[in-house]
Amino acid sequence: MSARVWRLLVMVLASALAGCSEDASQMRFAQNANIAKPVHRKARAVVEKTLEEHFGTPLDSVAWLKLPVNYGKAEGKVKSVDGRSLTVDFTQETSDLQSLNSPELNHAGLLFTSGANQGKSFLLAGYDASDKSFELLTTLESTPAEGDQFVVAGQNLRHGRKLYARHCQHCHGINGDGDGPTAKYLNPRPRDYRLGIFKFTSTNKDTKVSRDDLKRILSQGIPGTYMPAFVPMLKDNELTMVIEYVRWLAMRGELEVQLLKDLKNDYAADRAKKEAQETKASTSDIEKQIAKQLEEYVANPTEGLSAFVENVTGDMVSAWESAEMTDTVIMPPVPRVPDTPESRERGKSLFVKTDGGKCINCHGPTGRGNGFQTEDFQKNDATGGFYAKRGLHDSWGEPIKPRDLTRGIYRGGRRPIDIYRRISQGIKGTPMPPVAATVTPEQIWDLVNYVLSVPFDSASPKPAKSNSVAGQPSEQGNAN
Amino acid sequence: MRKFWCAFFVFSPIVAIIYSIISSMVPSLGWWFPGASVTELGQRIDNLFYLILYIITAVFIGTQVAMGYVLWRASRSKDERSWFSHGSHSLEVIWSVVPSVILLFLALYQMDVWALFRVQAYFPKEAREAPVAEVTARQFEWRIRYPAPGKKLQLKPQSDDLYDVNDLHVPINRPVMIQLRSEDVQHSFFLPHLRVKQDAVPGQIIPIWFKAERQGIFDLTCAELCGWGHYKMRAQLTAEREAEYEAYLKKLQADQNYDGHATPSAVAKKDE
Repeated sequence: MSARVWRLLVMVLASALAGCSEDASQMRFAQNANIAKPVHRKARAVVEKTLEEHFGTPLDSVAWLKLPVNYGKAEGKVKSVDGRSLTVDFTQETSDLQSLNSPELNHAGLLFTSGANQGKSFLLAGYDASDKSFELLTTLESTPAEGDQFVVAGQNLRHGRKLYARHCQHCHGINGDGDGPTAKYLNPRPRDYRLGIFKFTSTNKDTKVSRDDLKRILSQGIPGTYMPAFVPMLKDNELTMVIEYVRWLAMRGELEVQLLKDLKNDYAADRAKKEAQETKASTSDIEKQIAKQLEEYVANPTEGLSAFVENVTGDMVSAWESAEMTDTVIMPPVPRVPDTPESRERGKSLFVKTDGGKCINCHGPTGRGNGFQTEDFQKNDATGGFYAKRGLHDSWGEPIKPRDLTRGIYRGGRRPIDIYRRISQGIKGTPMPPVAATVTPEQIWDLVNYVLSVPFDSASPKPAKSNSVAGQPSEQGNAN
Repeated sequence: MRKFWCAFFVFSPIVAIIYSIISSMVPSLGWWFPGASVTELGQRIDNLFYLILYIITAVFIGTQVAMGYVLWRASRSKDERSWFSHGSHSLEVIWSVVPSVILLFLALYQMDVWALFRVQAYFPKEAREAPVAEVTARQFEWRIRYPAPGKKLQLKPQSDDLYDVNDLHVPINRPVMIQLRSEDVQHSFFLPHLRVKQDAVPGQIIPIWFKAERQGIFDLTCAELCGWGHYKMRAQLTAEREAEYEAYLKKLQADQNYDGHATPSAVAKKDE
């Protein structure tokens, strides 16, 4: 047969087999111009290695037990040991132990919490549900005694990864950077988790998103954006897995961003060039020096990399844990003020007062989202300069529009309490500020009543049919 | 050798006949199909399908048997010559008139079902006058708007409307109508258990009615490839008793008026 026929045959065979195996997927690392690019590439390699050590790759993820992530835990006691196989009794188990059977068991580790192996963890090769026995990947140096306690973790991460890959990854990206293949077609952009900031939360302005908030977003979707609702397609335990995976990705991203920010000071990308100019030393010498300094930094146990990681994760852990505390959830101290014309009127006068709620500055006099700030150049806190584009920007550096309140679309929920929380505590990662310090709870309720009435307020002028979006807002905004 | 070729060519019609007999039995055996229709109209639509299925099965088996017979007869004798029917007036009349009569019969026979299913003037009056919900399809979810309990659904959103997503609740044993819209591209509102399927077209409000006769949770899916996330549009229809339905709306209302201090009914009244 000719070469062409052979090639055709191979192609047909290859296409028949395509999709049969799972491709090895790699975690991506930050590439952004403002976070990653200014850092020396050797320092970036250090960051990548650190992240890989603590978080692994998607198919070989590490359940870093230090993080407040529910990896899917089972606790138990050793019943008997036979070589590498442990027969056990569970004292607390997740409903999903069966999944430990899967042959692609990743870093689901078994950690002894008592006995001769206390503090040591072992990778698992498998689990047999019929006689409740674990198969370890490595041999045990010292045989555990009967009654030794252990923890097994990691199932949620593994299944969460699969669900995330199927449903979320194409927008939110493999490492949660909001830059999946479909992301570039979307406006607004999908959330980049790596700052650890989520917009629609029930927690106070200084606290992260809670699991319940994420669950609400997953089950309700975000109207006005491309985020759909995933219930009833995903069952309750699947939601939990996705949420834990997303939180884990967010923590990974936070650590990455913090490390890059820290290393930028000493290991800037242009350091060798700069120093070469200043000291007239050769660039290669300085490169060598950088490499040596980095090595020392990584090796230093008290003031080096490990101490920094320890510090950052310590802060991160307490921040994520406090989001689960009930006292960080915003509950209005007073019930909703009756929704009367007088209340709406009071709300409206607060809304338009430039020394009151200041809502008008961004949302405009009639709530159409056309306040004068949308036409101004805004300060970029990250660089200290101004944004190149006019209008508001969020913490991710993307242009953002104040909500047009006449449309009746409420991204973070339409319940009075949702709107109360957003007015009171602001929206994280956006220029929407908290007003709780300057406005009383009753006044916030007045504002809620007014805001909820805007779409139905026949008195407020409706948008003209024309498409002139750019022209008309500034006049109204500047008039105030 | 003739017998071999006869058997060789008759093999596939035999398989096809067996296959067609099995497939005409499949719905009654309950294989793959979503089971008996939850609506009476759905049952009538099923009957139309079965009628067509039986007609084509009979015609198909007839032609296959005739073909097998011709092969078998030709394999028996060398002397018999085939005759050519080309230009036979009576044959042409027969194979034109018989299918036309069948088609005409089907066209007339299905008219009342079609009218009841699609033509708004034939919808049950009580359903037509009080649509229970507006369902808006969008990439990739179903957003549902109910009127407040005791009120009528308006074309434009009202301040006391109730909202839910991906879970359409309807009362059983009475005809209900919903208004179908699309926010972006073409979707298709598909209730396989109720035999309801209707495209949602951007810019149009399309009424659909059905009368669920059994309570339960049924699939609501999108049946029109609407984008890369098409599969995500998997929602559910909850058909429940009138009291449960009302309780659901009440709960939705309480939820939607939640201000952190409960007593939602009081809040609901303030809007009047």
